[in-house]
Order: sequence, then structure tokens, then C-alpha cells
Amino acid sequence: MSFYRHIPITELDGEQLEQLSSEMKLSLSREDMVAVQAIFRDWKREPTDVELEVIAQTWSEHCKHRIFGAEITHVKDGKNEVVSSLFMTYIKDLSEEIFARKPGFVLSAFHDNAGFIELDDKLAICLKVETHNHPSAIEPYAGANTGLGGVIRDILGAGKGAKPIASLDVFCFGAPDTEADQIKADDVIHPLGVMRGVVRGVRDYGNRMGIPTVGGAIQFDESYIYNPLVYCGTAGVIPREYIDKEMSAGLKIISVGGRTGRDGLHGATFSSAALDTESHEEDQQAVQIGNPIEEKKAADFVLEARDRNLIEFITDCGAGGYSSAAGEMLSEVGGEIFLDEVKLKEPGMVSWEIFISESQERMVLAVKEETLPELKELADIYETELTELGNSDGSGILKVWHHGELVCELDCRPLHDAPTRHLKSTFTSPSGTASSREVESLDPAADLKSLLGDFAIVSREPVIREYDHEVQGNTLLKPLAGAAGDAPQDAAVMHIDGSERLMAMSQALLPEWGKYDPFAMGAACVDECFRQLVAAGANPDKIALLDNFCVGNPEDPNELGELVECVKGMAGAADTYSAPFISGKDSFYNYFETDEGPVSIPVTALISGIGVVDDKKHVTGASIRHSDSVICVIGTTGDAMGGSVYGRQKGLGNKAALPVSECGDFLELYRAYHEAVKNGWILAAHDIGEGGLAVALAEMGFSGKAGLDIDLASQPTSEDTSHTACLFGETPGRLLVEVATGDVQALLESFAGKAIAQIGTTSKEHACLKISFEGNALIDENLNELKEIWKNGLTPYY
Amino acid sequence: MEKRPHALLLKFPGTNCDAETARALREVGFSADVLPISQVDPSKLEGVDLVVLSGGFSYGDYVMAGRLAQLVSENRLGDSLKQFRDAGGYLLGICNGFQILTRMGLLPEGSLIHNDSGRFKCNWVKLKKGSQKDSPFLRGLPDEFELPIAHAEGRFVTKDAGEAEALVASGLGVLTYAEDINGSFSQIAGIQDESGRVLGLMPHPERFMSRDHHYDPDWKNEAGGEHGTGYYMFRSIFEEISKR
Repeated sequence: MSFYRHIPITELDGEQLEQLSSEMKLSLSREDMVAVQAIFRDWKREPTDVELEVIAQTWSEHCKHRIFGAEITHVKDGKNEVVSSLFMTYIKDLSEEIFARKPGFVLSAFHDNAGFIELDDKLAICLKVETHNHPSAIEPYAGANTGLGGVIRDILGAGKGAKPIASLDVFCFGAPDTEADQIKADDVIHPLGVMRGVVRGVRDYGNRMGIPTVGGAIQFDESYIYNPLVYCGTAGVIPREYIDKEMSAGLKIISVGGRTGRDGLHGATFSSAALDTESHEEDQQAVQIGNPIEEKKAADFVLEARDRNLIEFITDCGAGGYSSAAGEMLSEVGGEIFLDEVKLKEPGMVSWEIFISESQERMVLAVKEETLPELKELADIYETELTELGNSDGSGILKVWHHGELVCELDCRPLHDAPTRHLKSTFTSPSGTASSREVESLDPAADLKSLLGDFAIVSREPVIREYDHEVQGNTLLKPLAGAAGDAPQDAAVMHIDGSERLMAMSQALLPEWGKYDPFAMGAACVDECFRQLVAAGANPDKIALLDNFCVGNPEDPNELGELVECVKGMAGAADTYSAPFISGKDSFYNYFETDEGPVSIPVTALISGIGVVDDKKHVTGASIRHSDSVICVIGTTGDAMGGSVYGRQKGLGNKAALPVSECGDFLELYRAYHEAVKNGWILAAHDIGEGGLAVALAEMGFSGKAGLDIDLASQPTSEDTSHTACLFGETPGRLLVEVATGDVQALLESFAGKAIAQIGTTSKEHACLKISFEGNALIDENLNELKEIWKNGLTPYY
Repeated sequence: MEKRPHALLLKFPGTNCDAETARALREVGFSADVLPISQVDPSKLEGVDLVVLSGGFSYGDYVMAGRLAQLVSENRLGDSLKQFRDAGGYLLGICNGFQILTRMGLLPEGSLIHNDSGRFKCNWVKLKKGSQKDSPFLRGLPDEFELPIAHAEGRFVTKDAGEAEALVASGLGVLTYAEDINGSFSQIAGIQDESGRVLGLMPHPERFMSRDHHYDPDWKNEAGGEHGTGYYMFRSIFEEISKR
């Protein structure tokens, strides 16, 4: 049996090239194949299958993010504009400008597995978020399992090995009560099955790895029935001296961890294409099987090896397997890989299968030869397998040997730049102008209850309790807290060993906004994430963000147009906040060919962030702590209700405008708020988000410590804001704070000239949420009853 | 210099609470080492005062929780842990460690099986300390206190409900949940052996070392200090060993 072959391509025409790409599942376009052909014509030889696979991995959307690098002709409201690379223009260049504004804050970004920011003068922290959508659609448990396993390896491979300290997991599913006949294609897993599988997949990997899952979100919408989204993120910490790593000639390349099998072939290229019913039948081999204990042993090994300074370079084996990992390490310096050394799960694997297999739980390291005995001893101690794969040699050529033959000999330099894609996008600005009065709340108490029971808002407690969110013993602000231990919080805050400072972590996504105004969504997601971090005590000058986009069909100009607008909105807000992006990822082709035509997801941006909390005294929860304290609202409420949960419930659709994020104004408020935190005036703070002020007040009251007696007459509003918008509108930039009576005066004075108002008090007399306007009660409800609705909303389904 | 009490934490592949448990032990005064099981042999118990099996998922717990860890430990250590106890040594098993100690027969007969909910559960629970028999681990604690739990297999069962009742009555079932958490017989959360030198418990004291660890920012311990309940537990055993 031959274990590799040459593929004649130099004589093929365009159509034949395209057919070849399809037969080999390379996911390369005709244009790409022509470029590959040109390279091999230049080299006057035919490629081997291994070489073609390596190129396909290298150029896959999954690895190269070619749509974010594409030249896009964007037509907005009839006006043409050319965006040469969304990534360069709105993410990298912008962020580098922000880095320059605050020297020393970002220590590494855009070239490693994850970006690092300064925690203190000894330690740095990082965050990485990945998506694992396609695998989770086909095999929810294994897909989510390996999604988390993969991002944990990203952290282990960041710098010379960062320690994973916290995870976040964000999901978008169809509604749990979706009727079977709503699903218009065969073999699609019901949203409930997807949700249960995904949650258990995350649970079993995170819990076994001993990394607390402290953050997350779940969005439900029918557009996610066919393409559920699964975002997995992990944060890490590293001593600063281990951030920089460099390859050089003469190093040994070793692999640590699991063995290599046929599981996970073509994962990178598979996830760069759309799903259909056949995917559920055919692409099973692209989904890998997770083994968290294998990864735990490898992690123990890596962190010990790092502390002994035995690692010169490290990266994880993710998409593309050894070909990507070795490609990353050897593409500049060159070197040799010997496939015969690779320990296999099964016999008979051919060269390309071994080289691109995405079998889980493998890390690839470059080490000095003289340290090998010590590393082998360490591997024995932690019972993990260490394999010598090859060496770096300074030739600039990637050489792969198998059974004594050279199965791949690539000069990687011509491969660095995949052909630039040229795409078209269009966008028409939303034109909704309807006042909130069109959906006036006639029974605010009933509407509040309806919101508290909405899938967008109900407690995620059944899911959160399945995650160990306290392992490592560092979770200070927990996902559920307050006096009863079950009220929602804005961010998680982690103690970090060896530092007086702490890390806050949060995330925001608003797909409902994206359906009507993706620009507003982009800005509002950045604001919400930033605001939640500040609310929990993070220093507004020490926040870094990540962008993770999920999009349907990028070849559809309308869908791409929504992405362009979303990215612009996001970039503008980040610029104003001087909150740089330090990492990000994108996932395309989240659409499905149903019996009734293609269904795409709405453009869905997840913004996640980490922030530095300077002192543990600044850690601020979102739950009422005392009776007889004062409630203030920070920020101005507007009338626009487009995109709100209330608006959706009332069928507002695209008739109304979405709120505008006035980030410049917001930032001044956040800075003033942070000063108040430092002065010790803030007992509790909660961001006003989905469901608006009334829901936020109820959530604060779920600690059970006091009732709330609120009058909205004095709250800052823009002109013509209705009572309905005051109660349920989702204007960004607003916070609710609880302040001791004695500190109110000082707080209000410190905010002089800014949007803040005292709107009520916490009362011990009645466990009621009472919201009035000029003394007329709009809502007067028992908090325990409200809490029952909110707390039990998901329990029948999970 | 006087020797500090020394704790040895055994680490299996999949043990994941060893770092914070060692940190907790050091915080109350112990010297503490974490030793991967591949390096363990009976000689490693010399000079050790307290052997700790910390939480996690040893070998993934894919068979019964703690079963593989028990077999590997017996293979490496024979009956030297029993000898260690008989010679006056102390043993503490937390969560997965409790499961392992139970399988090893170092604690009164019983088994930790899947929670009756069939789910992993991570939350804080109220616990009661038995008054029938003193425990050197729990001496410094109030009669009722809170600790976090995080387990899927924490339901303590005995051959029949009467045996569990007898354990509580005799003081061996020294720690009980104030409410039914996972279907444990007699709501048992932790048990000790006749000597009192071996304790296994499902809750995680190492996760409640300081006031900041509590979910309620206004939590106060009765003694008024900054410490959490777990601190006083580790401190109790530290003092017990120190005064010997």
C-alpha cells in the first residue's frame, strides 16, 4: 500500500482543479487552486497529497480568516466604499493605535495563541475565545467537549505556557420549546438535545480539567435551530518573562499528550463550509472525541516544564493538527518532521492523515536537545506520552518524512499570503422611527413578569450549577451570588495567586439587535461588556476585548454587509473606550440548506473582555445588600426600543429605531463610577441590559435582603421618553447602584453635571418591588413571586 | 528549628484541587508537598503527619469514582496507608479523595454514588457537625456552617438506611447536610473512622479560606475574623498535630 501519492495538477484546467478540491475535501476555491498550481508550475513538479493537504489547512478560512482579510466593496445606502481587510482596518490597526495610547498595558497581541495584558509587574493575563459551531451541530456533546478542550490548549500554548484559570461558554440555540414540525430538514437535532449535549460537553471537560467555568450566556432564537453557536473561552495567567518565545535552528520538536488517529480529519476545512443534512451523515469523522484527563496530564507537564524553563516554543495542536502546529513553528526556520515517530491510535494511517489529524490533547514544543532527558522524566512523572517528532534546521523548508521518503517538501514563503478574496457587500440603513408609545405597556406588572419568564432573561442556574465554578479556589465574584447565592452578576472576578490585583471577565452578545441594526449591535456589545467589567470593579483604563463573529453566508452581499456594519460599530466603541482587541476569531458558513431553502443565522458578535481590578475592595456584586440604602441610576434613558426583549414580545420588529451608544458620554460616567467604587461608596451595581430597568431592579432585589421602592420621575431621560421605555427600554450606558444613605450626597456631588439621579430606596418593610412615576404605582409586586418566575424558567427544559 | 507539621498530597492523573488544597494547608502553618502518584512508594510517607487526597476526577472517574485511584494506590502503597494511620498518622479525603478513601476501606463501610438528581452540582450548602464524637479536623468549627460542594457522585449510601443512621448516632457520620442535597442516607456529608484520624468529606473547605470566598459580600464569621470556615478546619488539624 502506498502511503502517499503525487497529484498531477500542473496540467489541469480551472474546472478540473475545482473538482479536485471538492473530491479531496480541500475547501479551496478555483482561484486558490490556480494559485497553488502556479506555485508548483514554478517549482516544475507535481505536489504530493500531503503537500496539498498542508496548503488546504494553511489557507482554510478557519486558519487564515480570509474573509476578514478580503477586499470588500461595500455599498451602504447606495454609496460605494472599499474596505481592504476588515481585520487590518478595524481590529489590528485600531488596536495597535490604542496600544500606543497606553504603553505597557498590552504585552502581546495578534501573533500568539492569545493576547496578554499586564496584571502587575510580575504577571500577565490572557483570554482566548473560539467557536465550535459545526461540530456541535452534528455531535453536541463531543463538539462542545472538544471546543472547550481546544481553547484550553490555546492558553497552554500561549507564551511559553499560560495557566488556564477560568472559562466562559456562550451558546445560541433554538428555543427549548421548539415544535418538531418547525424543523424543516432531516437529521437536525432538536434544540433541547443540542443544549443538553453542549452543556454536558462543556461540563465534563471543564470540570475534569479543574478550570472553573465562571462566565457565559445563552441566547435562544429560531434562527439557531440549524446552526447552533458554541463559543468557548479560557483565560490564563503567566509570569511575564514567559510571554515571548522564538523559534531558532537546532531545536528538537516534541509532541506531548494524546495519540494520533483518524478522528478529526478535515475539521478545519469542514468548518469552512456550510452544513446540510448530508453533513450529519458524512462529516462525523471531522468531529473529535475529547479526553480531558489526557489533557490534564499534558497541562501538568507543560506548566512544570515552563517553570523549569525547559520550553523554547510551544503551540497547541488544533485545526490542521501537526501540519498547522509544525507549520507555525517551522515555516520560517524550516525543519524536518518524521511521521514514523508519531504514536498512532490505529494502524495503517497514510502520511496526510497523520499530518493533518486533529486528534485532541496534543501540544507541540520546541526544546533544546540537552533538556530532553529531563523532559522525558517529567513526562513519566505526569504519565503523559512524549514523542520526538523532528527538529528545526534553518533551511526555511518544511520537510516531512515517512518510511524513509520525503512526502512533503515545502518552501512555506510563497504560502504565507493566500490569494486575497474580493467580495461584495450591501447594506441599507434601518429606517424604523416608531415611538415606544406604539407598544405602550398597559399592564406593566404583567409585562415585567412576562419579561422575567422570557428565555432571554430567565435564570441560567440549572446550567451554571452543572459547572464547577469554584475549583482552584479563586472565584471571588461568582456567576450567582448575593445573600441567597442565586442572583445574577455582571462579571466574574478571580483572585490570582501572587498578585494583589484581580481579573474580571465578562461577555456580551445581542443577536436580537443585529437583526435590525448590526452597527448598533456592534457598539452596544462593546459597551455592555465594558460596562459589566467596570460595574464589577475593573479599572476602565485596564480593559481588553476579544471579538468573535459568527456569520451565515459571506457570499451573500446582504449578510456580509451586516458584518461590515457590525464591525464598524464595534470598532468605534472600542476606540472611544480605548479598549483594544487582543484576540478574536470568526466563523462563517453558519447557514443550512433546509427543505425550504437556506437558513442563515443573524450576524452574531460576541464581545468578551478581561479587566484588571486593582484592589479586592473594588469587587462589586450586583445584588442588594441592605435595607435603608439608596438606589441611583447612572445614565440617560432614551425612547428607542428596537431590538429590546420587550419590543420582540410586542412584535415591534423593525418599526422602531435602536438605541445609539453614545460611548463618549458613557465613558465619563464609568470613570466617575469607578472613582465612587474606589471611595467605597458603591454597595452594589448592576448593568441595565435585556429587559431594561425594571428587570435590572428585580434582579438586584433577588438577593432577598430588602424591597425596592422606586420613583422614576427624577431619572435622566432624553426628550419624549415614555414610561414604557423607562421601564423596559434597553438604552446602553446605564447602571443601577446601591449606596449607603450617608454616601449619597458625596456620590451625587462627584457626578456633578453628569447623568445620575437618586430614584429610590431599599426598604425592609415589604419584600416588594414598587416602581412608581410621580407617586403613581406602575408596578407593585412581591419580589419572591417575581423571583420564582425568573428562577424556574429554564428548569422544565434542563 | 522546630519542625512544622508536614502534609503530603497525593496527586493522580485528573486530581485538580491539589494546588489550592496545598495553599490552604500552608496558609494555616503546614509545610505541604504535592506528589504525583507515579512517584509514590511507602518510603514517601516517612516524616509525613497528614496525608491528603484532594478533589478532582482521578483517572476521569469513568468507572466508579475513585475506583482506579484506589487500585493504583494499593498497588503502589500496599497497606502502608493503614499502617500510617495505625502509627498515629492523619488522613483527609476531600470530594474525590473521600471517594478514594471510602473505596480503600479506610473509612466505615459505605459508598458514594451518583447524586439522586443525576447531575453534577456546584453550590454552597449548610452543614451540621455531629456532637457524639470529637473530630480533630472539625474541633474549631461551630455546630453549623457553610461550605461549597461540587460533585456528581456524592450520595453516601450504606447497605441499608439503618447503617447510615447508626453512623450518625455513633458520631462516625460526623458531618451532615442540613437539607437533603444529593440523596445521601441520613444526609451524610462526611465520615470519620473510629480513631478520628481519618476524615472524608464531600464539601470543599479549601474553597472557603477567607471571607471573600463567600457568595454573600456581607457574610461574617461568628468569631469576627477575615477567615472562612475552611481555614478553621485546616487550622484545627494543624493544632492537633502541633500539640502532639
